Amino acid sequence: MFRAIAAFELKYHLKSPLFYILLIVFSLITFGGTTSDSVTLGGAVGNINRNAPFVIMQFLMVMSVFGVLSTTAFVASAVHRDFELGTDGLFFSSPVRKWQYLGGRFVGSFIVATLIYLGVIAGIILGSLMPWIDKARLGPFDFYPYFYSLFVMVVPNLLLAGAIFFAIAALTRSLMATYAGAVFFIVASAVSSSMLEDMENEAIAALLDPFGFAAFQISTRYWTVFQRNTQVLPLEGVYLWNRILWTAVALLILGFAVWRFKFTTGTRKTRKKAGKRNTKLVEELQPIQRITLTLPKPAQTFGGMASVRQFLARVKLEAAMIFKSIPFVIMLSLGVLNIWGNSTAFGNMFGTAIYPVTGIMINVIQGAFGLFALLITAFYAGDIVWRERTIKLDQVSDAMPLPTWAQWAAKLTALFFVILATLASAVVTGIVIQAARGYFNFELGVYAKGMFVELLPFLLFIATFSFVVQVLFNQKFVGFLAVLVYFILGNALPAMDFEHLLYRFASQPQSTWSDMNGYGHFMKSILVFNLYWALFCLALLAIAHLLWVRGTESGFRQRLRIARQRFGKPVAAALALSLIAFAGTGCYIYYNTNVLNEYRTTNQEEERRANAEKKYKKFQEILQPKVTDVQADVDIYPERRAIDIRGVYTLRNKTPKPIAELHVTHNPMTLRHLKLEIPGARVKSDDRTHGYAIYTLAQPLAPGATTTMKFRGGFAAKGFPNGATNTNIVANGTFFNSISYFPQIGYNSEDELQDRNERRKHGLQPIQRMKKPDDMQARMSNGLASDWMNLDTTVSTSPDQLALAPGYLQKEWTQNGRRYFHYKTTAPILGLWSYLSAKYTVKRDSWTSPKGEKIPIEIYYDAKHAYNVDRMIDATKKSLDYFTANFSPYQHKQVRILEFPGYARFAQSFPNTIPFSESIGFIADLRDKEEIDYVFYITAHEVAHQWWAHQVIGGNVQGSTMLVETMAQYSALMVMEKEYGREKMQKFLRYELDRYLAGRGGELVAEMPLVLVENQQYIHYRKGSLVTYALRDYIGEAAVNRALAKFIRDKAFQEPPYTTATELVQYLRSEAPPEHQETITDLFERIVLYDLQAREVSATKRPDGKYAVKIRVTTAKLRGDAQGEEKPVPINDLVDIGVLGEKDKVLFTEKRRITKPEETFEVIVNGEPKKAGIDPFNKLIDRNPKDNVKSL
Amino acid sequence: MSLELRIDGLSKTYPNGVQALQNVSLSIPTGMFGLLGPNGAGKSTLMRTIATLQEADSGSITLGNIDVLQQKDEVRKVLGYLPQEFGVYPRVSAETLLDHFAILKGVQNRGERREVVAALLRRVNLYEVRKQNLGTYSGGMRQRFGIAQALLGNPKLIIVDEPTAGLDPGERVRFHNLLAEIGENVIIILSTHIVEDVSDLCSRMAIISHGRVLAEGDPADAMRRMEGKIWRRVVSKEQLAAFQLEHAVISTRLVGGKTVMHVFSESQPEGFLPVTASLEDVYFSTLHHAEEAAA
Repeated sequence: MFRAIAAFELKYHLKSPLFYILLIVFSLITFGGTTSDSVTLGGAVGNINRNAPFVIMQFLMVMSVFGVLSTTAFVASAVHRDFELGTDGLFFSSPVRKWQYLGGRFVGSFIVATLIYLGVIAGIILGSLMPWIDKARLGPFDFYPYFYSLFVMVVPNLLLAGAIFFAIAALTRSLMATYAGAVFFIVASAVSSSMLEDMENEAIAALLDPFGFAAFQISTRYWTVFQRNTQVLPLEGVYLWNRILWTAVALLILGFAVWRFKFTTGTRKTRKKAGKRNTKLVEELQPIQRITLTLPKPAQTFGGMASVRQFLARVKLEAAMIFKSIPFVIMLSLGVLNIWGNSTAFGNMFGTAIYPVTGIMINVIQGAFGLFALLITAFYAGDIVWRERTIKLDQVSDAMPLPTWAQWAAKLTALFFVILATLASAVVTGIVIQAARGYFNFELGVYAKGMFVELLPFLLFIATFSFVVQVLFNQKFVGFLAVLVYFILGNALPAMDFEHLLYRFASQPQSTWSDMNGYGHFMKSILVFNLYWALFCLALLAIAHLLWVRGTESGFRQRLRIARQRFGKPVAAALALSLIAFAGTGCYIYYNTNVLNEYRTTNQEEERRANAEKKYKKFQEILQPKVTDVQADVDIYPERRAIDIRGVYTLRNKTPKPIAELHVTHNPMTLRHLKLEIPGARVKSDDRTHGYAIYTLAQPLAPGATTTMKFRGGFAAKGFPNGATNTNIVANGTFFNSISYFPQIGYNSEDELQDRNERRKHGLQPIQRMKKPDDMQARMSNGLASDWMNLDTTVSTSPDQLALAPGYLQKEWTQNGRRYFHYKTTAPILGLWSYLSAKYTVKRDSWTSPKGEKIPIEIYYDAKHAYNVDRMIDATKKSLDYFTANFSPYQHKQVRILEFPGYARFAQSFPNTIPFSESIGFIADLRDKEEIDYVFYITAHEVAHQWWAHQVIGGNVQGSTMLVETMAQYSALMVMEKEYGREKMQKFLRYELDRYLAGRGGELVAEMPLVLVENQQYIHYRKGSLVTYALRDYIGEAAVNRALAKFIRDKAFQEPPYTTATELVQYLRSEAPPEHQETITDLFERIVLYDLQAREVSATKRPDGKYAVKIRVTTAKLRGDAQGEEKPVPINDLVDIGVLGEKDKVLFTEKRRITKPEETFEVIVNGEPKKAGIDPFNKLIDRNPKDNVKSL
Repeated sequence: MSLELRIDGLSKTYPNGVQALQNVSLSIPTGMFGLLGPNGAGKSTLMRTIATLQEADSGSITLGNIDVLQQKDEVRKVLGYLPQEFGVYPRVSAETLLDHFAILKGVQNRGERREVVAALLRRVNLYEVRKQNLGTYSGGMRQRFGIAQALLGNPKLIIVDEPTAGLDPGERVRFHNLLAEIGENVIIILSTHIVEDVSDLCSRMAIISHGRVLAEGDPADAMRRMEGKIWRRVVSKEQLAAFQLEHAVISTRLVGGKTVMHVFSESQPEGFLPVTASLEDVYFSTLHHAEEAAA
């Protein structure tokens, strides 16, 4: 009996369209996630294989959360259907037993819910077979990870969700209550998982997370690329217990449902209705009366306004039917949930949130909701065409006197309304999220542009396309297939080097929103492309009108015959006009992309860069003069996005040999035109494509001699290109630097291809590793084209903007309706500078140096972003205080922080000038004082670069970024610690530790020790923080700062050969006592990891009121090599032993020498101990920092 | 002026080669017109073609001045059509959908629309359940809804394909009365395989088979012409085959467990008794003759 019920249930669902809809939708989601970087499921895939076991596990786990809703749909239907259809009595009066009935229904429907995941798996497998997937990013096919993920990760989750909602549906007998419960469940589990994240005890958090996310994350967090590509999560330890616990909970809930379920008929609703129903039956049985009532003869009107009213009535009915359908409600709620889920951590840095400004919400919505809106669109576009034929109402409705145009147009219009409503609900979700986070500046205009100018037209085009395809093919599944083929082609074409948007249906040029610059110049090209595709859609619709199936003729010849009947003047005119306008718009686009701009595919552009390297890299070592002085007049025209540069370089031969040829390079992609004037020089070669010119000087430049080079160059935006547009020179928020927009002397490796796959494709060797620190040739350069130099520049801009460049303002004036600013540096600078121009609001303050010199501090920001300006000023002052007291005087006369649009996410220090992206500090939400104030941190870091980089710079060898970035990190940490105290630092350093360990996992070449870092961010920033903070702890702040001050005194503004990180470590060693020399070796010259753990802690209160605390710890020390392999080494280190009291108050901390893998310490403390352990502040690098202390 | 539907030389061959209509010519005046024929005879094809849902290969159809095959929109304005098999939107109530159809039928005035919808729902006995979703309707209720929509908006031409299928006897009588009442001034084409329906209701009829019109005319005339040519005999099962060789057997049926055979003959065959010709006899003998002719 049980089996029969289960089998019946299974068959019932396999016949329902819902199963197939969900199967297709779920497989499309993972197909998208596998094949496209714009669809992310549980985080980006990064460097690992597209089909890595890790990716498979992650995708299936995320999909299992979506499965809460799909599973609910099946199991709730299984138990609710009988009540709805009134067939409950049939079952309850039969000899079937309660457990058989409920059990059979549950098992049958649960199997169906699980079968959906075959689609999820198929999506990944099919996706990885697609031709545009880089083969280097595919591992061998292995069935096991799918099998494992399905049965270990997905099935228990579905079982739990299924059990809960089966029980709710069975006991409440209400579908509404069940669905509301499902949504509540997802929200609650998301909220609790974010609470669990902060939990002290990770093991308990991992156990309590019903979906197993926490356990998965904890276990795989620091997996290396190799592990991610090859391993599944072992089913052991906390993960195993998690699975067992929640499976048991699920079974208990099912048992409870069976126990409480009553074999009585009816839902509350149907019971109420029952009375009514009986009266109906009575009436139906009444004797047939002879009704002679004549039917009224109403007036009928057709055509004109009547047709319009008929059309509107159809639109209303069609739209209502979509709104009421279950797949729509499910897909919409999934989309809304996904927005909510993605918004919680979007843009967070160091766990600190940003203000949910509307531009950010748009990004969140487009990423999280776009796919669901697309699925709704594509699905209903097909469904709506077939609606009457599916339910066999077509003959009735086709014979109605409704004009044929109104028939199909009403369907399409209804679909448009559904899409509009779908997007509107996304906007409402966005606004609710903003309000919930206390942000009330709802910029409806921005929502309108982002949702209704960008996303909506795209969806409408897709809707029209899917609709027309269904009409033309007149085969439902062929239609869906055709749409699928379109999406596959859409991805495959660019991979096959067909990148022009003109032939990629519904494509728009990429655009980026910036609060400062709005949609800027992107808007125009988006509108043009919208028009282009809209006209194309109109032509498609004219054809669809002709071939629209009305009646029962489905043969193509008959349809052509009908088409001829319908082909009248209006259709012909619509078709001709839309095609002509389409072609016209296409020509206009072509003129913009291919005539005004150069059309080049990604591959062609890569090839150009590869060719530049192949042709000119050989000149990298050639001796060239260096720039010592730059004089430049720069005109910025924001409104037409153009710049004009007229400059003079003074060049000095600093080599011991005469120089006969001058190699002048430039980036032709940014510096579009360039004219050089070198007195007496002759052009030997001038390669404009690769930006490489060689001039033969009239006379070789003697050692020590100088010459000048004059140039004029610039950039002017013309129309719009097909690919990425220039975001440096924009209407509001121009920011460009001298490397991209000024000619350079000698070969510039900046533009070399970095990605190893791209390099391989274009026949290049892997990128050259950095030179060793003892390479004196390499140390003659700091990596830039000049040594220390002077800059004198005049920059002009529109009268409503302020223009800035490094240096001190000499003069400001207005001339010919433009504003001019003359800047001059007062201390030598590096050969890299920048220009900015925007409509700025300025906040001014000042700092007084110890010598009484007043240094102005100015923050140039967008009026909308005043939130953290005061924090920046404060951080600047405190940084200047600390750095001048401990390192050396500040070399400039001013500090300026300048906001620039979020087209890039960084802050960068130029001499006395710090451009700061709007997206990383200006909108940080620092209202919660518990969170890390990263605005303060970044500001301090950038101010520190005025010393580390702008006073001391290393040679272009291994370790050079340690001198710049690690030292800026250390400096910022010290300022931060003074401001926020040690406890806050621990929280910050946790993030640094986490990012360092995770960064190791992404290493592709070799992990270097800090002192030999090869521009590896996870080392020079993240490990750098940990190492320098630990060093400070061992030898003391005063000793470290003494060493640094001496180092600066010796090396600041040093001419080549430049110093190295190795030299800095010598300075540090000279300040360190002998017992710490080995520690310095471990910190800077080795890769060392610890595994420290508090095993047992206990305390006894002594008669004198003090406590004796006993701490048993285990320790292990590992040394890693470049490939990530780690070997245990004996430990002989000083490590903190600590006892913490109420609110983590430090009761005791002392360094003890650890020599054995297991040791016990006993200490006496005043006050009641709460926690104790080893290295409680996580100064050492340890993969499990949380187990260092244990609660008493 | 009385309306007439003229069908002239209508032929239709489906892409799969089936000749659904072969040179069909009919002239249908106002009143009820019965269309009789076995399954697959081409009745539904003919009706769908008249209802603008299907194309013809050749021939013409005119309704008064309207060229049905070309001026489809004009036909639809005066058409009421109930197909043989149809479904409904499950999540919409009868009242809502009928009101919607009334808009499509050009009833613009909301008050008038409400009136006509209510009246129709009363006439088909669905008024009490008008607020229920159509998805919950039984087959019979749905059929009655179909009848109501076909009668919306003063149709001049009503085409009903097997309308009484699924109706209980009482409902069927009620429906017949409704049609008879309306059918005085409009053309009603009623396709059915229940011969009685035609004899009860129709003033004109046609019998079609294999896409051809076998007979056309007044049912009463046809029966009169058969008078004295139909004979019956009770036979055993074993005898049946022998009789079929000798006589023009037009029908056999079981009556009280015995096989009663009707034959067509100009004179009384031996052992047969005369019977009064029914329309059924007309129908079966027409089909029988057609088969003979074909063989």
